Amino acid sequence: MDSRILTAVGAVVGIPLILGGYLYLTERLLAAASLRTQARIRPYVWVVPAVSFATIFMVLPTLNTIVLSFQDKTSTRWVGLDNYIFFFTNSETINSLKNNLLWLVFFTGFVVIGGLLIAVVFDRIRYETLAKTAVFLPLPISAVAASIIWKFMYDYQPPGQVQTGTLNAVIGTLGFSPVAWLINSTTNNPALIFVGIWTATGFAMVIISASLKAISSELLEAARLDGANELQVLRLIITPLLMPTLTVVATTMVITALKVFDIVYVLTAGAYGTDVIARQLFARLANADYGRGGAVGVVLLIAVIPLLLLNIRRFRQQEEIR
Amino acid sequence: MAPSVVRFPPRVLVFVVSAVLVVGACSSAGSPSTSGGAPAPAASQAAASGATGSAATGQVGGQVTVWTAWGGNELKAFQAVLKPFTDKTGIQVLATTVRDFSQLAINVDAGTPLPDIAGPPNPDKIPEWAQKGIMKPLEEILGADGWAAYSKDTNPALLTIGVVDGKHYLEMVKTQVKGLQWYNTKVFTGTPPKTYDELLAIKPPSGAKLTCVGLESGDASGWPGTDMLANIVMRQSGPDVYTSWYQGKQPWNSPEIKAAYQLFGKFVSEADVYGGPNTVLSTNFGRAGKPLFADPPGCMFLEQATFIPSFFLEDYPNLKPKDDFDFFPDPSINSQFDGNIEGFWDSFVAYNDTPQSRALMQYMSTAEAQQIWVDAGGTLAALKTITKYPDPIFAHAAQVAADAKNILPTAGDQMPADMQHAFWKSTLDFTNDQSQLDTILAHLDEVRAASYTTQ
Repeated sequence: MDSRILTAVGAVVGIPLILGGYLYLTERLLAAASLRTQARIRPYVWVVPAVSFATIFMVLPTLNTIVLSFQDKTSTRWVGLDNYIFFFTNSETINSLKNNLLWLVFFTGFVVIGGLLIAVVFDRIRYETLAKTAVFLPLPISAVAASIIWKFMYDYQPPGQVQTGTLNAVIGTLGFSPVAWLINSTTNNPALIFVGIWTATGFAMVIISASLKAISSELLEAARLDGANELQVLRLIITPLLMPTLTVVATTMVITALKVFDIVYVLTAGAYGTDVIARQLFARLANADYGRGGAVGVVLLIAVIPLLLLNIRRFRQQEEIR
Repeated sequence: MAPSVVRFPPRVLVFVVSAVLVVGACSSAGSPSTSGGAPAPAASQAAASGATGSAATGQVGGQVTVWTAWGGNELKAFQAVLKPFTDKTGIQVLATTVRDFSQLAINVDAGTPLPDIAGPPNPDKIPEWAQKGIMKPLEEILGADGWAAYSKDTNPALLTIGVVDGKHYLEMVKTQVKGLQWYNTKVFTGTPPKTYDELLAIKPPSGAKLTCVGLESGDASGWPGTDMLANIVMRQSGPDVYTSWYQGKQPWNSPEIKAAYQLFGKFVSEADVYGGPNTVLSTNFGRAGKPLFADPPGCMFLEQATFIPSFFLEDYPNLKPKDDFDFFPDPSINSQFDGNIEGFWDSFVAYNDTPQSRALMQYMSTAEAQQIWVDAGGTLAALKTITKYPDPIFAHAAQVAADAKNILPTAGDQMPADMQHAFWKSTLDFTNDQSQLDTILAHLDEVRAASYTTQ
């Protein structure tokens, strides 16, 4: 048998065993101490495995990436800020930054607003489950598969030929000539962002819908009795009550937008002015340029930090409310 | 098992070390019976070869170690080539697939043993290794008679590669040619054009365009365009410019390279290419030839290497090579540089001079060995004396290789990875908007300045 299978089985069975064994052993040791000491020490004992895993697999690699970003291609020489200067002066990375900004605004905006509207509208129709399933369906599809589906949708054939791409076939029946969606610089970024929206809206809808259900119907009833119309109910009652949820969904989407890779990689591989930061990072690493690749990674990390802080603050506030 | 030492960047090491710690801990605690060694294959094979050693005539016995980069069908073909050798000589060939040949340089630097026979190192190492005697010259390894036969019968263009102080070090065993203009024999019935001007002057039937081009290839989109450019540069400006170009010494905005892009531009222009630039950019290279055989035809010519008929047959399974489609090599631009073709080759170098390595090197230079490779399909022999090909298209391509003065390597493959990717992408941007040529070339020069610095 392949030794890798044994290793995998060993990891799957062994790691829980070790963790269980660790907790069992430490509990046995703690039992010797007084109850007060136990209560004081136990949280630390329990948190050690998680913290050490996070340290080994997240903190150390992050620190290492930061170190690499100040070194040359082969990580043998210190180059100071050269890799960062390259990042902010290179036309490709600057263009990628611009595209990430497009993703950030339009992808996040459409997913959150779209998810909210769909959740509210579907809340009132008879076939809610069916309709929600339809919107949710793209989510379990892997991003690469979804991108390939859309590659067929956006397919282009010369004018006069049978249009094998769904979109061009449709506009063809309306009498328009085919559009090279992924190449034309006015359509390609929107086309890519739309694929992202298509896959992510279902997620936003489900989360928003769940907290929509949690809003008490008496509250809405009271508003309506007081003479609020449906739009006012949505704007003044529902939306503020959903705000914590919307913030979480929005920050998640912003992070998704910042690290978008697969859709761009599959559909255009970053050509024709559609490149994004994460694909730049991939290209640098694939070319074994750890210095510039590290710098891209660090910039991406720094861009995400404010959002993480925002999320953490939200969580804290919610904890306080409870 | 190959003794492979791979250099990991420190970041990976952290991961691996921690993974090993975790897994090691698991297997010691969880399942003690996971470890169990397979018997060493090398030892048992050596014993077997010793046992059968002296049975037949011409037996030498012993073993020879070989590194190749081949896997899959190529490896199978190589094993088929080796079988008669082992049967005849009793020499056991221990062939290992090594994907990263920089391992050779690591062994040389570390002073650890090299395989008896392996592929060549990076081209820039060849002179040094030849002078230091790390690589053994074919003139010695093949013996006087063997060298005389090899040098007489091998394609002359291949004998110009890997020569140091008049001695040859790379034993050529296989080759391939690129830069072929494929056509439908029902659509193009004239004689092949002699020059690019003649080619571009050919009038396609009404409704068709002169060329078909498909540049889409996922992450590697643009590579077919870089092959077309390479073929232009070597014919327009010669092998010296070509070589200094991929070595990063020839600026992209120099007149030579700019002229090459401009000529390439005609093949992908709205006027001359099937479907216009949008079709070029949206069409996968494998599907690019489809309009050649459509009714009515969409175009007359598709430039591509010897592998492309397999794609024609996917779209049109009834096509017969030679009867339904054929090719001519890219024509001349500057007659001074005629005979330069783009291609690639497989070669072996002897790193240890032993009776066994001599025997294998001698065997691989023979028509007997190379015929087995050719019969496995998909390749040309290095020997021009081999004319029996399983497919008439390959026989024709073999003629192109035999007639060539220089077989030059694929330019993009010789560039640093950053440069190669930028080169691929440049053909996309240029096809999309030819008026941007100066900006595109300036960008390529920026990448050149940054990517050749640290090798």
